[in-house]
Amino acid sequence: MKRVRALVLTGYGLNCDIETAHALELAGADATRVHINAVIDGSTTIDDYQIMVFVGGFSWGDDHGAGVIQAVRMKNNAGERLTRFVEKGNLVLGICNGFQTLVNLGLLPGLDGDYQRRLVALTFNDCGNFRDDWVHLTINAQTPCVFTRGLDRIDLPVRHGEGKFIADDAVLDRLVSGNQIVCRYALPDGSPAAGAFPENPNGSVIDIAGICDPTGRVFGLMPHPEAFNHFTNHPHWTRINQQIRRGLADPQSRPVTGIRMFENAVRFLGS
Amino acid sequence: MAHRLEITLKSGLFDAEGEGVRRKAGRYFGIALESVRTIQILTIDAALTDRQAETVRTEIFTNPVTQVSAYTPLAIEFDWCIWVGYRPGVKDNPGATAVEAIEDVLGIRFSSDQGVYTSRRYCLKGKKLTQGRVERIAAELLANDIIQQVRVYAKDEWDPAEGIGMVIPRVRLDHRPTLTTISIESDAVLKQISDQRNLALNDNDIPVIRAYFNDPSVQARRRAFGLAEPTDVELEYISQARSDHCNHNTFQGLFKYTDTGTGKTEIVDNLFKSYIEAPTLALAKKKDWVVSVLWDNAGVGRFDDSHYYVITGETHNSPSNMEAYGGAITGIVGVYRDPLGTGKGSRLVMGSYGFCVGHRDYDGDLSPRLHPRRLLDGVIEGVRDGGNKSGIPTTFGQVVFHPGYMGKCLVYVTAVGLMPAVVGGFPADQKATSPGELIFMCGGRVGKDGIHGVTASSETFSEHTPAGHVQIGDPYTQKKMHDFLLEARDLDLIRFITDNGGGGLSSSVGESARDSGGCEVWLEKVPLKYEGLDQWEVWVSESQERMTVAVHPDHAEAFLNLSKKHAVESTVIGRYTDSGVLHITYEGKTCACIDMDFLKSGFPQWEFDAQWRSPQDRGMIEPVIGEPSDYGALLLDMMARPNICSKEWITRQYDHEVQGGSVIKPLVGRYRDINSDAAVIRPVLTSERGLVFAQAILPWYSAIDAFHMTACTIDEAMRRMVAVGGDPAHIGGVDNFCWPNIGYHPEKNPDGKFKAAQLVRSCRALAETCLAYGIPLLSGKDSMYVDGHLPGAYGETHKVSALESLQFSAIGVTADINACVTLDLKVPGDRLYMIGETRDECGASEYYDRFGYVGVNAPRVDAARFLPRYTALHAAMGKGLVSAAHGIYRGGLGVHLAMMAMAGDLGLAVDLDDVPSDSGMRADKILFSESAGRMLVAVAPEHAAEFETVFSGLPLACIGTVTEKPVLEIRAGKTKPLARVPVSKLKTAWKKPFGGLI
Repeated sequence: MKRVRALVLTGYGLNCDIETAHALELAGADATRVHINAVIDGSTTIDDYQIMVFVGGFSWGDDHGAGVIQAVRMKNNAGERLTRFVEKGNLVLGICNGFQTLVNLGLLPGLDGDYQRRLVALTFNDCGNFRDDWVHLTINAQTPCVFTRGLDRIDLPVRHGEGKFIADDAVLDRLVSGNQIVCRYALPDGSPAAGAFPENPNGSVIDIAGICDPTGRVFGLMPHPEAFNHFTNHPHWTRINQQIRRGLADPQSRPVTGIRMFENAVRFLGS
Repeated sequence: MAHRLEITLKSGLFDAEGEGVRRKAGRYFGIALESVRTIQILTIDAALTDRQAETVRTEIFTNPVTQVSAYTPLAIEFDWCIWVGYRPGVKDNPGATAVEAIEDVLGIRFSSDQGVYTSRRYCLKGKKLTQGRVERIAAELLANDIIQQVRVYAKDEWDPAEGIGMVIPRVRLDHRPTLTTISIESDAVLKQISDQRNLALNDNDIPVIRAYFNDPSVQARRRAFGLAEPTDVELEYISQARSDHCNHNTFQGLFKYTDTGTGKTEIVDNLFKSYIEAPTLALAKKKDWVVSVLWDNAGVGRFDDSHYYVITGETHNSPSNMEAYGGAITGIVGVYRDPLGTGKGSRLVMGSYGFCVGHRDYDGDLSPRLHPRRLLDGVIEGVRDGGNKSGIPTTFGQVVFHPGYMGKCLVYVTAVGLMPAVVGGFPADQKATSPGELIFMCGGRVGKDGIHGVTASSETFSEHTPAGHVQIGDPYTQKKMHDFLLEARDLDLIRFITDNGGGGLSSSVGESARDSGGCEVWLEKVPLKYEGLDQWEVWVSESQERMTVAVHPDHAEAFLNLSKKHAVESTVIGRYTDSGVLHITYEGKTCACIDMDFLKSGFPQWEFDAQWRSPQDRGMIEPVIGEPSDYGALLLDMMARPNICSKEWITRQYDHEVQGGSVIKPLVGRYRDINSDAAVIRPVLTSERGLVFAQAILPWYSAIDAFHMTACTIDEAMRRMVAVGGDPAHIGGVDNFCWPNIGYHPEKNPDGKFKAAQLVRSCRALAETCLAYGIPLLSGKDSMYVDGHLPGAYGETHKVSALESLQFSAIGVTADINACVTLDLKVPGDRLYMIGETRDECGASEYYDRFGYVGVNAPRVDAARFLPRYTALHAAMGKGLVSAAHGIYRGGLGVHLAMMAMAGDLGLAVDLDDVPSDSGMRADKILFSESAGRMLVAVAPEHAAEFETVFSGLPLACIGTVTEKPVLEIRAGKTKPLARVPVSKLKTAWKKPFGGLI
């Protein structure tokens, strides 16, 4: 069977490309790291790929708003190719800086099939600072999102200074009713964080951590699934291991890793 | 015509930055503000049409969801307004990315005299604000006058149409590059010129320099190039190369060491050769994992058959002391170029920090340039942006508070890289330049910044120190260059690579040309930030984010094309030769011609008198303290001491998970909030092998004897490694010395001889301890002038010297990350074991410091005796017998029992009578002695017998049990416990001092 081909963007200060490519490979895809300029100048054809990942990092130093200049450059030089890529039924994933780029491009939320309009924003964390911590996420069971199928909860790391999700009420209503809100920050027991810091690390409205477009094929989130690619990434792995080894916990109780999201993508494209 | 765009958040949105300013003004200065709104300003100095200006405003600089903007001043209400912008020539990173974005959107190119300048407006509202208070907020919170300019407007002074006006901080030098010759007619004249030009030439070097230029054969050759007396390019070059920072004259010095107690005098010829090089070479022979040490920008060890790891550490003290943010970000971004310039180039995989500053709440009479609180804030933010924006996880770090660092702070930054073992069929750790290869300069451009940085860091800080060497690192430019150079390496386009750090091109080209045996440099080719630099400035400028690369002419085109793809500037600035001379020209005219071997020959060794007086001879005694009765309150107070308490606010600002290989994080435990002993990462994601990393800084013991300080520091680093599963047989070290001035002067440095003796003793301890533990020193650096002169209450000044300080970094490889261990207690009923003995060693401890005592019984390390217990613990971990492990560090047993309990949110019942200790030791000393060589280990009852067997013949005792109820109960045999403290109370006390900070 032909393997799914994934394009992972690099360059201009992006920095999660290696682990994102690794996560895709673990999920069974062929991942290629491609410089933004190779996409822009056409030396790499995005149509040769089925998944495109806008990865985390500090593109253009996050100056003038995180993801803003990356979005401007991509829109200006490859905007139509990107929209076509989505409309052909391919998958686009934006993680952290990539999520910020997707909302500035307008690929998200993509209401009414309009992939150009900026309707939502990711702005400075309420805490006023960059923050690295693990968060609990609950997944919307009704979402059309391809990447989260079969998941109800997952722990992932966040690492950002501008992750507070903002939109006006009308847009929020549409996102809620369309089940485009894919994942939300939660308390350890799975109940909503309801804005509580640090469980909701940035002050996002209604605890939004990630959204998808109406088709569920474009997905952006602030937490980093690629950084949970191995059991030992989980902050409690030594505790869980000890408990399993002592017969105090079920070996099946090991947490689901972020690789599941990439596997879902590969499975969707292979089906 | 310039355009000034003001951008701010829509009025209903929360302004997190403004809120931060409001909070700090209240907390730091007691100035109550109602609100602060921030406005970003872009001054676009380019002729844009109205339509173009509107396009960039809407397309790039204004988020329609969150922001409003205008080319006229925004009408945000205020009582007072503060404007802060950069001074001319200060690196404005967002200004540079704005140019990139505008050029792309409009399809135009900015000319060299056009640009974008960013600044900020803070709109303050508050009832009781006065000009003085607002100016204080501006000067002590928002701006540093050596890099920034400030204006303060009262409400009624503000012109709503003009706003701040059009401020364009463009550098205009109006200067023609000039080559100057310098008279060397006598030693006195050269000395005078050295002082005038800030060359900091050593008196003993001056005759050698003159003799060289007066040598008839040298003169004859110089005449052929049209040169007679030395040029400013040449003398600046020699000054840079001979500086203590570049040449390590102190460590290569000749020390006459006298023990005043015994009257015995010994000569120590070259600390580096005797105590660093010799033991490391001896160990490298025994440890086959040592790949490359003692010559390159960083040391190299084997990670697995196909990868090497690379490590080095640096300090960036003087610049950080003047401009904390700029100094620290330049420091961390700078040290990241060292692994990139090691071998054929390494990918950066990890960084760490060590900050030593005055007390955050200092309110005494001394007025340092930056208050310790502000300095620490700036340093934290500098390392945050430098590390995070480089995409390198900052996995470990420590902070030390001590009044001695008020004179000069310490900012330690450490970098770890990874390289393939082989590139293009050759070992990747090897590199050399050859005649005919081209010299490329890659990355940033050259400006006046950083000129005389190395000579300034080789001097004591005073009010006359030039501020011009303060820079702001640019991780964005460097990250692009990093990605480019690694791709070039993998295509085998690189023959040699090194970074431009201290000394700039003069150092990187001067040193790399030794392989080939000479070079030609065409200075007019060097890309400049702005016109008007003299030739010598181009040659020695320390402008950041630059690498020097040797490329074979056949590969030049491919190298340039790749550089272009990565949007990195690369320029041929010369070529390597075998002429035997370093030959510099500017537009065809020779400006320098120096023999390649001149700098390595004929210069006299620096000489130091070192006089050791033992603590007893210095009148130091043990304090007389009666036994405390309220152990619970004492323990809670110990937990809250600045050098013990939680600094989570710093750790959380640092991305410690990027690259996806985090195994043991800096904060661990049930609530992810207790410091781990060490960090573990998985740098090769397809492998189960890990890199283990830890550091220690224990300057306090230097107050008694820097020998014990050094031994204890290394021992702590070693225990940290072993505690998480590091293999004691594979540990490499990095020594970073920061020492006060050791040159004796009867008035200016009356205790110089003693400090010199401390250095000799420290180096001896380094050699002894590393040999006994089998730790080769993979890399190391020294910074020798950690002193400052601070103004006091009456206009007088006080010399403040830091404690003799050493940061020791340890790195190692673990074969299986799945066997790693954390300190959190995991299962009630586990037995708690203590490895090692507790001695009456409270000298310079946190406990004595609580009462203002130093004492005299510093902890002592017996490495040969300690090593077997570490090896045994490693073996026990390998057998899966260990549930939790933790070293006993600063604060002693009491504090570190608390750490394990807090991490696991479980209790401990401990009996001090079971702790192996000196006979008759009192409970307070057992609890707070900082004896080295000790660790705590939790073991499941079913593994206890086997665990004890592994330790047979070694000091091990079961001292307690893990309990379900989260209470720390400490008894000393008697029925009534000495203390019963709920773990939640311990944690509250531990988090309280800095708990409100984010």
